[in-house]
Amino acid sequence: MASSVFWYLREFLRAAWIKKFLFAKTAPLTTPSHFRGFPEPTGKTCQHALFCMMACPAPGAIEVVHAGDGWIPRIHKGHCIRCGLCVEACPNGVLKSGRIQETMQREGTSLLFSFRIAIDKELCTGCGNCCTACPVNKQADAQMGAGGHSSNDDVIMRVQEGDIVVIHEDKCTGCKTCEVSCPNGAIRIARILEGYQQPVQEGSQ
Amino acid sequence: MKRIVDVNIPLGPIHPCFKEPIRLKCEAKGERVTGAEVELGYMKKGIERIMKGRPWQEVMFLAERVCGICSVIHNMVFIEAMEQISDIAVPPRAAYLRVIANELDRMQSHMLANFSYCYTIEHETLGMYLLDLREQVMDELERLTGARVTCAYIIPGGVRCDIPKKEAGDLQVSLDRMEADLRRYAGMFEDGPMIALRSRGVGILTQEAAQRAHVVGPTARGSGIAYDCRQNHPTYQKLGFVPITRPDCDNFARVMIRFDEVFQSIDLIRKCLHELPKGVIRGGGVCKAGEIRYSGEAPRGELTYFIKSDEFGRIVEIQIQTPSIMNIEACCHEMIIGSDSIADVTATFISADPCVACTER
Repeated sequence: MASSVFWYLREFLRAAWIKKFLFAKTAPLTTPSHFRGFPEPTGKTCQHALFCMMACPAPGAIEVVHAGDGWIPRIHKGHCIRCGLCVEACPNGVLKSGRIQETMQREGTSLLFSFRIAIDKELCTGCGNCCTACPVNKQADAQMGAGGHSSNDDVIMRVQEGDIVVIHEDKCTGCKTCEVSCPNGAIRIARILEGYQQPVQEGSQ
Repeated sequence: MKRIVDVNIPLGPIHPCFKEPIRLKCEAKGERVTGAEVELGYMKKGIERIMKGRPWQEVMFLAERVCGICSVIHNMVFIEAMEQISDIAVPPRAAYLRVIANELDRMQSHMLANFSYCYTIEHETLGMYLLDLREQVMDELERLTGARVTCAYIIPGGVRCDIPKKEAGDLQVSLDRMEADLRRYAGMFEDGPMIALRSRGVGILTQEAAQRAHVVGPTARGSGIAYDCRQNHPTYQKLGFVPITRPDCDNFARVMIRFDEVFQSIDLIRKCLHELPKGVIRGGGVCKAGEIRYSGEAPRGELTYFIKSDEFGRIVEIQIQTPSIMNIEACCHEMIIGSDSIADVTATFISADPCVACTER
């Protein structure tokens, strides 16, 4: 018991403790520069790649909307979880959050998207809705009819003899319009994300 | 004649000492506890169901949100399991950075656990000291990753961002300061006579009982079982990791082992910063199909993910086995039995560091 009293006396008679007790002030609340906050626009022009929307893990947190002549990403703060993936996924540097943008430029890091089309042969009826709905198909072959038939070889996919055939998977932009238009849920687009970094320069670390 | 009445004393689900809702139904003979049963299920989230059908970039964030206190390890185990499935190699620099983030997370988790133990035995001064120190650890975590709790730092094939040279130096300086502070606090706990009265010899979990109950983590190491999943992790093997054990088997040992592990974590981070290899932090790589059972050491013990993914890396089947369930079971079936007072029940329960959010997911 006596040692305990002695211990407490020794603890609270330390100069550092007394100084802290008398002069302690709460530090002003400031957001540190490295804090990953809500994404904000940098002022660069949005090119409508929509990668921010595709990378976003929170449903409905970001959408790219029409503003005047162009497009802008709009953040819904109630849904955003401030993960910063949209900032990393944007190929044009439209968004910034904390210091993610400058770190990416310094270290040469980026997130690369690639898209794969998977069609469930069991469920597909060959109606061609996906081919007609696809905006890339529409640009490649404006004449494509309701059946999804096309004689143009530049289209992503077309109906041949009652079956969907994917010709140019690499042209897919991952918009998932086909998924929405499919009556059976037979087509699914996989958005594959890959972390990438350019080789590091000597002496930068 | 004195009559001894058997009483049932329910503790929880709402209790000032419990951070999360859980109910302990204690059977007592006077003040002596003769039996206890645990009742779970107050905060089921069904997070594994939400994870199904999603790619890693969405599941990663859900995995972090399984548990708020040990979020980095959930991220790490999930991503490393995906890497094992898809044969993605991790650059050495990224592997070391992962260890730094993980150990910082372990430090803050252990400090929070020790805070709640001190708070439960009514030593609030020491508890608040520890919470203050935990804030500093979380500031370091924020400086490294950009967020305090849900860091989202680890991605397949590497990490999100590098640690600049200046910040590595700052981290070293704060580690030195934190270690000095923590040494004082650990000393306060070790030498405090009142703390010893409430902790030494209370909540005994013998080594045999611990093995029988499959206890994991610091709770097992406090009972002398030298098992730690970090022994099997390649990066930790490179750092020469050896688990710490204590033979005392009581509440005191379980709290002290956490203090010891924080010191060990500080040493590991120092070693990482010292040996940090040069090179890239992201090697790239795409997630593929496969099936795996992968374990890592969370602050509370062995955390296992069972994952099955399809050809595009989307999750088909996922099961998470968290450490707390074994510890909670052992706690109410082994440690609490024979407590001399009801006041020791909460203290013993908190000393096992139960995480209900993890357990129920």
